[in-house]
Amino acid sequence: MKIGLEVHVQLPTKSKMFCSCPTTDAEGPNMHVCPTCLGMPGSRPVLNKKVLEYGIMLAKMLGCSVADTAWFSRKTYFYPDMSKSVQITQYDNPIGVKGMYYLNGKKPIRITRIHLEEDPGKTKRVGDLSSLIDYNRSGIPLAEIVTEPDLKTPAEAREFLGELIQDIRHIIDLPGDGERSIRCDCNISVGVERCEVKNVTGLKNVERALTFEVIRQTKILKAGGKIDRETRRFDEQRGVTISVRKKEFEADYGYIDEPDLGIYHIKAMAESIKIKESPLKRTMRLSSEYGLNEKAAKQLVATSMDLADLFERVAKATDVQIAKTWVAGAVSANWKAFEANDKADEDGIVDIISKFADGKITDTECNLELKAYMTGKDTESLKGAAADLDAVISEYLDKNPAIVEDYRKNEKAANRVIGFVMKQTGGAYSSADVVTAATRLLKERL
Amino acid sequence: MTMQTVLSDIGSINDKYVMFNRFTEDSDPGDSKFLFSAKDNLTSKDFETCCGSRILEGYHPVFDATAIAKMRNAGGKLIGKTNMDEFGFGTFSANSGFGIPRNPFDLERACGGSSGGSACAAAVIEDHVSLGVSTGGSICCPASFCGVYGIAPTYGRVSRYGLIDYGNSLDKIGLLSAKASDLTRYLPVISGRDERDPTSCVQPELEIKGDRIRSVAVPKEAAEGLSKDVSEAFLNSLETLKGMGIDVEYVDMPALKYAMPAYYVLATSEASTNLARYVGMRYGHQDGDLSLKFDDYFTYFRSKYFGDEAKRRILLGTYTRMAGFRDRYYAKALKVRMYVIDAYKQILKDHDAVLAPTMPFVAPRFDDISKMTPVESYKADYLTVPANLAGTPHLSVPCGYNADGMPIGMQFVADHWNEDRLLTMANEWDKAFDVRKAEVSL
Repeated sequence: MKIGLEVHVQLPTKSKMFCSCPTTDAEGPNMHVCPTCLGMPGSRPVLNKKVLEYGIMLAKMLGCSVADTAWFSRKTYFYPDMSKSVQITQYDNPIGVKGMYYLNGKKPIRITRIHLEEDPGKTKRVGDLSSLIDYNRSGIPLAEIVTEPDLKTPAEAREFLGELIQDIRHIIDLPGDGERSIRCDCNISVGVERCEVKNVTGLKNVERALTFEVIRQTKILKAGGKIDRETRRFDEQRGVTISVRKKEFEADYGYIDEPDLGIYHIKAMAESIKIKESPLKRTMRLSSEYGLNEKAAKQLVATSMDLADLFERVAKATDVQIAKTWVAGAVSANWKAFEANDKADEDGIVDIISKFADGKITDTECNLELKAYMTGKDTESLKGAAADLDAVISEYLDKNPAIVEDYRKNEKAANRVIGFVMKQTGGAYSSADVVTAATRLLKERL
Repeated sequence: MTMQTVLSDIGSINDKYVMFNRFTEDSDPGDSKFLFSAKDNLTSKDFETCCGSRILEGYHPVFDATAIAKMRNAGGKLIGKTNMDEFGFGTFSANSGFGIPRNPFDLERACGGSSGGSACAAAVIEDHVSLGVSTGGSICCPASFCGVYGIAPTYGRVSRYGLIDYGNSLDKIGLLSAKASDLTRYLPVISGRDERDPTSCVQPELEIKGDRIRSVAVPKEAAEGLSKDVSEAFLNSLETLKGMGIDVEYVDMPALKYAMPAYYVLATSEASTNLARYVGMRYGHQDGDLSLKFDDYFTYFRSKYFGDEAKRRILLGTYTRMAGFRDRYYAKALKVRMYVIDAYKQILKDHDAVLAPTMPFVAPRFDDISKMTPVESYKADYLTVPANLAGTPHLSVPCGYNADGMPIGMQFVADHWNEDRLLTMANEWDKAFDVRKAEVSL
C-alpha cells in the first residue's frame, strides 16, 4: 500500500497574498474583498512579502533546498469560486524541493516539494439547484506540501500529519484554531492505480477516508476488479468516499509565468531567515542529549515548548536526573495552572528545584513549594490538603494490604489505589497529585 | 476649438468618426486645464468600460486606472473612452463590438488599431491628447494611419494598474497627439512607480534633459515588403534627417523576423488566460439560463459574447501553452524575446535609435480589410511588433503623405528608459516636417 499526501496550510499573514484585504473572519460573506481578489478587470496582484518568508521557513523545516529565485505561474481552470479563472501558484520553481521529514524522528518520508499559492473562494450549495459564492477566502495564502508515496498505512498517515501540523504550528506560529486552516488531498493505491481523495479536513478524517479507501480498493481487487484512476471526495457524515471525476487524462492547466509579478531574488532573504527548532526535532534532541525516554520527551514537548526549555535549564542548573524527576513530574503536573498564573515565572521554579538539589529542602517540601509557587496557592492549605490525601490513601492501604504485595510484582496495581482515591475524593485532587502520593506511599510500604 | 466647443460638439463629432465608445454629456469644462480621452481598456469610475467587447457591456469599474487618475490630478478632464479592437485584438479597430472608427483623412479607411479611437480623437479634436495602449504596435500603427504623433514608453514606465489586460508582459500605456510637444508635456505626468503595479517599480526616473538622437540605424530587413508610397516617403525622410545632422546607417537585424511569431505566441498565451475570467457572473454583461451547469453556462456565455478575433486568439493561446506544446511554443517564445532584446542592445550600442517605417502601407480601405485573412492582417504589424516584444520605447511621427493625401509614419525605437531622446526627436521633427491636419467638417 502506498499513501502520499498533499497538505494545504493557510499561512497566518494579516493580509491576503496579493491584496491588502484582511485574512480574519468577516462579519458576513463577501465582506473581505477588493478588485484584486475579486479578479476585476484592470486589477493587479502585489505580493505580500510575508508569504515568501513563511514559505522559506517551512521549506527549511522540511529540509528542502530553497530556491535562489522564486516566481509565480498561472494555472488556468474554470470554476465559479476561482475569481480570475486563473490561480496564481508556483509551477516551474517551487520555493522548496527535495526535503525529508523523519516520522517519529526515525522513518524518512520524502518531501517532493513545497509551493505557494492563493486559495480560491468558497462555493456553498443552497438547495439542489443553486450555489452561492463567498470570495472572503479568495487570495488567502497557502503553502502546499507534497510528499512522496512513502506512507504505508492510514494510521501512519495520520501520525505523520499530526506531527507535521504540530511542527508547522510552532515554526510559523499558526494559531491553534482547530484544524480549519489545514486541508489535505490524500493519494492512495492498494494495487497499481491510485485514487485521490480531495480536500479532507482534520487528522481523524484523513485516517477515516484512507481506511475507507483501503477497504474499498481491496474489495474491488479481491473480486478481480480494476481500480479506476479518479478523484474522490470524503463524506464526513457517512464516512465514505464518493467518486467526483474519472482521471483518464491529467487535467491540463496550461501553465504560464505570471507576468504581473517579477522574479524574486530570495537567496539573501533565505539565508537571513533562521527557524526555530521544531517540536519533533526538539523531542529527538531531548532524548538523545539527556537520555529521556521518547515518551517522556514527547510529553514535555507536547505540553509546551516552554516546559521543554525549562527542562533544559534545570538540567543545566542541577543535573539531568533531577530535571527528569521534577520537571517531568511535579512541574509538568502543575503546568496548566502555572500558565494561567501571571504572578510566577520560570526563575522561581528553577530556584526551588535548586534548593532541593543542594539538600536545603526535602522532596516533600520541594513538591509542596513547587505546587504553591506555580498555582499561586499558599503552602499551609496545600500541606493540609496533601496530608488529607495521604490519610485517605494510607487508610485504604491499611485495609487492603494485599495491594502492596501485588504492587511489588506489578506496578500497575497502583491503579487500584488511584482509582479508589479519585472516586472517594470526588475530584478534589488532580490525578497527578493522587498518582504521586499513591506511588510514594506504596513505595514506603514495600 | 475651445474646450467649450469640443464639449458641445462631441456628439456630432462622434457621429461622424465613431472614435468614442462612451463620451461625456457634460458641456462645462469647469476649471479643467485640458481635455483628454482614454482608450476604453483603461478603467474609469465615471464611464462604463468595455474594452471594445460586448462581454463587458455594462461594466462600471469601481476604480480609476492610475494613468487616468494622474491625468485628472494634473487638471485634465476625461471626455470620453475611445473605441478599440476588442481587448486590443486587431490592427484596424475593425474588431470592435461598438462600431468602427473612421479615418479623419478618408472616412472609407481605417484608423488603424487597436488604439484607433485614440488616434482619431487626437487627429480630429484640436489640442487633444489621448491615452493609448500598445501591446504589439497598437499606438504607433493608428498614429501612423491618422497622421499624428504616438509614443509607447518602455515596458514598466507607466503603471498598468487599471489597464484591462491583453498580454501583461507586453502591454504599455502611452500617448497620442497631433502636437509633438504634448508628448513631452504629458509623458512625465503618467509615468512613475506605482506600488499597485510591481512591474512599474523598477524604473529609473524619467528625466527630460533634451538628449538628442544623433544617429539612427535602419534595418535592411525593415525595407522589405513596403508599399511604394511608404518606401518613397521614408527615403525622403532619411534625407531630411541627414539634413538635421543625424547619421543614418543601414544595418542587418536578422532577429526582426523572429519577433512576429514569438510575439503572437506570448501575446495570445497571456491573453487566453486573461480572458478566462469573463464568464458572465461577476461583472459586465450577464444573461442566460442560470440553472445550467456552470461550465455549460460559461460556454454559452463566452460563445455568445466574445467576437471572432477574441475566440481565435483564445484558441491560439490555449494551444501554445498546452502540455506537450508549451515548450515548443510558449517557452521557446520567451527565449526568442531575449534574443530580440539582445539584438536591439547590440545595435543601440552604436546608434541612438533604430528607425523604420511604422506600417508597410497607408491606412487601408474597409472593403480591402474585409478581404484580408487573419494572417495577412497579423503580418501588417511586422514593423511595430519587434520593439513591443523587446519592451523598448518607440515613437511614431508623421513623415509623408501619398498621392491620395493619406499620412505615412516612421518609427524610432530607443533603448530601454530612453524616452527622453524620443521626445526630443518628436519636437525637432515637428520643426523640420510640415505635418498636415485632417480637414474636419461636421
